[in-house]
Amino acid sequence: MSLTQGTPATTGAPAPAQAAAAVLPADGRRTGSRPGRARRGRKPASNARSSKTMFWLIAPFLVLVFLFSYLPLAGWATAFYDYKPALGLTGSEFVGLQWFEMLVSSPAQLQQLGQVLANTLAMSFLGFATSLLPVFFAMLLNEIRAPWFRNAVQTLTTLPNFISWVLVYLIAFSLFSTTGLVNSVLGDWGLITTPLKFLDTDQHVWLTMLLWSLWKGLGWGAIMYLAAITSIDPALYESARIDGANRFQLMRYITFPQLMPTYVVLLVLSIANMLNNGMEQFYVFQNAFNKEYIQVLDLYVYNIGITGNSLSMATALGMLKSLISVALLVAANAVAKRARGTSII
Amino acid sequence: MNSRKVAAALVLPLVGALSLTACTGPGTDEEVAETVSIDQDWSQADPITIDVFDGLANYMGTQSGWFGKVVKDKFNMELNVIAPNVAGGGDTLYNTRVAGGDLGDLIVVDKGEKLDELIEGGLVLDASPYVDSMANATAFDAALDKLNEGKDGVFGFPTAVSSIKPTEPSEGLEPTFGPYLRWDLYAEAGYPEIGTLEDLLPVLEDMQEANPEAENGQKAYAISLFKDWDGNMMVMGKQPTTLYGYDEMGFVLAKADGSDYQSIVDTDSEYVRALRFYFDANQRGLVDPESTTQNYDTMFSKYQNGQVLLSWWPWLGQSAYNTEQNMADGKGFQLAPMADQQIFSYGAEVYGGKQVLAIGAGAEDPARIAAFIDWLYSPEGVNMNSSQTGAAAGPQDLTWEIGENGEPALTEFGNQVFLGGGADVPAEWGGGAYTDGVSTLNVSTVLPKDVDPDTGFPYNYTFWPSYQEKVANPLTEDWGARMGDAASAMEYLQDNDQLLVAPGSSFTAPADTSEIETIRSQVKASIIEHSWKMVFAKDDAEFDALLTSMQETVDGLGYQTVLDFDMANAQAQNDARVAVANEFG
Repeated sequence: MSLTQGTPATTGAPAPAQAAAAVLPADGRRTGSRPGRARRGRKPASNARSSKTMFWLIAPFLVLVFLFSYLPLAGWATAFYDYKPALGLTGSEFVGLQWFEMLVSSPAQLQQLGQVLANTLAMSFLGFATSLLPVFFAMLLNEIRAPWFRNAVQTLTTLPNFISWVLVYLIAFSLFSTTGLVNSVLGDWGLITTPLKFLDTDQHVWLTMLLWSLWKGLGWGAIMYLAAITSIDPALYESARIDGANRFQLMRYITFPQLMPTYVVLLVLSIANMLNNGMEQFYVFQNAFNKEYIQVLDLYVYNIGITGNSLSMATALGMLKSLISVALLVAANAVAKRARGTSII
Repeated sequence: MNSRKVAAALVLPLVGALSLTACTGPGTDEEVAETVSIDQDWSQADPITIDVFDGLANYMGTQSGWFGKVVKDKFNMELNVIAPNVAGGGDTLYNTRVAGGDLGDLIVVDKGEKLDELIEGGLVLDASPYVDSMANATAFDAALDKLNEGKDGVFGFPTAVSSIKPTEPSEGLEPTFGPYLRWDLYAEAGYPEIGTLEDLLPVLEDMQEANPEAENGQKAYAISLFKDWDGNMMVMGKQPTTLYGYDEMGFVLAKADGSDYQSIVDTDSEYVRALRFYFDANQRGLVDPESTTQNYDTMFSKYQNGQVLLSWWPWLGQSAYNTEQNMADGKGFQLAPMADQQIFSYGAEVYGGKQVLAIGAGAEDPARIAAFIDWLYSPEGVNMNSSQTGAAAGPQDLTWEIGENGEPALTEFGNQVFLGGGADVPAEWGGGAYTDGVSTLNVSTVLPKDVDPDTGFPYNYTFWPSYQEKVANPLTEDWGARMGDAASAMEYLQDNDQLLVAPGSSFTAPADTSEIETIRSQVKASIIEHSWKMVFAKDDAEFDALLTSMQETVDGLGYQTVLDFDMANAQAQNDARVAVANEFG
């Protein structure tokens, strides 16, 4: 029992941040779709009974959110024990803050943690820096006139999103291993004598990881913007055309600014997720050579908890991460409030 | 029980994590009587399937084939093998099942920390009621008593027990470790002399130059590495140290005779020497560039194809490449005569090996499992069960028989199975390929080198005179002629005083405290990471820089604490070795 409580926290689900992220879209949907129905239901009847009905409608989701986002927080208790699965939490020794102290006990520990944080933030900031790419991609895609070509491009770029990282690695391996396609072709052409090391090297790890995640996520990321583009008021385009705007000016002065609200919301949400770059990608690509630069926080938690079998310490690390995530969300929200006058919470 | 689990799984999302407590140990309802006899005809009992959590198994699923049929006929029982090795992810499967309160009905697990933890957590059954009637298992009472010493009952049954002296090697005709070269290529190179480890490099270079491509057209390399088994250190880095009598105890390399203890990260340690050996080899172009990404299976198939020329283990190089056909052509892996080698050998374990058999606390029919365990200690059980890697001969009258001279000999079918590349089992034995039907438990209750009381010869058929006459071939003849007419690698090593036997004391290191465990896991990750980088370093300067970086990093992580702990364990292990050698040797 205790393990399952521990696992979500251990494997790095930063419960509050995720909970917040999980609640928010739900909230958005509720406020987005319900007012109409609610108003229709409330105004004529306007009694307590219908709001009770409404409550029962959302109750299952509240229960699910509680079960999967809040209940696992009980697993945080693991961080204060020397948890041994065979003995259960009750049978394990209470050690207080030992694991937290150990995380910061020596310069080498701090240095390792620092490197992990650097990797995490680097991957996140590279992600932010490239987060406009899906916007541009969607805008350009939208300008394609031939529907068959647009659909083909969209399908082909969206498809990689549905390929698991394990398969992506398989592709990467058959292309870029020492005996992979690229090295064989280059070798056959006489361009290289020793195989180039693409996968087992500590050079440009951040960059290659970014390219892989862009390849996988670009088309998918553009979908939301494509949807946003369709909801832009056609009157804006018409009046601009009457004023003599050409296609690029339409993109520059109408489409782009109209997409900004969507972009900012997504950006703020991703800031709260700054410490969660997920671990699948890094897990499949990691090896002894790139480990120093590929180990992001989630992967570090996994490596300590599951590979290294120190479940309690990994939980402690996961807790710290959750706290930082909450702080980041609050900070990002404050910035957004000041800059745009609206809060996302 | 299965339907209950399914129901639990369906209810789970609704009732939430709290319902998980419901999964904790179904438990036996009836009280176990004082003593229970296991002596009955189990073939008439109700059919059951038991979960076997087996830390040694390399196969996951229901035991099929002839071994499955034998167990089914005898016990009306099917074995559902759960193999953490196959599942991967280290201890994840173990932790998950243990947290769920049911590890398995039959458990094969390490003694020491894990067994103690399971006993404390109430996950293994006290088998005391059954022991009295387990005649085969209690024949090894010294090991059984030692294993359960200080425990409130009989919780574990020892594996790999032996009646051989602990100062004698436990291995068969070949040691566990050794420098095994492609003997045919070594011969082509003119049998150059090999003084010490580093002298292998020029020899290997000559061999690789003379044989740049294997028969399949792929490039051949002298050395190929893999990372799957990396533990406290890079596993391929440890192997050359065994040639000088060292074995690992955490981060300590301890010499078999107790004369030396090294910290692996020391600049002049044997481990760093091994890393430098690989580094030099890589500089000479002798290391397979796929080493960094491949797994054991890929590497094994390269050995099978003749793409690798050096093996630190006979059970890798020989079992992959020394087929009957290759050996008839004079090709194969054989022990190289390295002048200064002192190869580490595990002495026979009077008190049993590292793993134990145990009955799960939630087992449905513990008496039947006890009967099964007891059967595994019987000569019939040993012959059948140890046939996967232990080289026991298999079922009598199928693979072997007692010949006219009263000595055991392989049957025609046995020859086909062990020397001819496999055969299909007759229908009365269940059909299917023989190798698909061997016991997937992969654990020997009795050491296969031990003498079968029924035949008077070892269980391991490679010791039988009838077998040794049969297998003479151009490869072994050439090797024997060069090695002073030695009949086997073991004989050569013993005659030349190149074998260092660590007496089999059955010592188990005490459990790491969680602090040490945590430091250890971080330190070993760092050591492995640095080791691989060192092997593939660009030049000497980078190699040395990485070495320094490794030493500084692990020191900062708390290496010294773990080293002190390991050092104390290594000393204690040596004391135990001395004690057992004095008592039985």
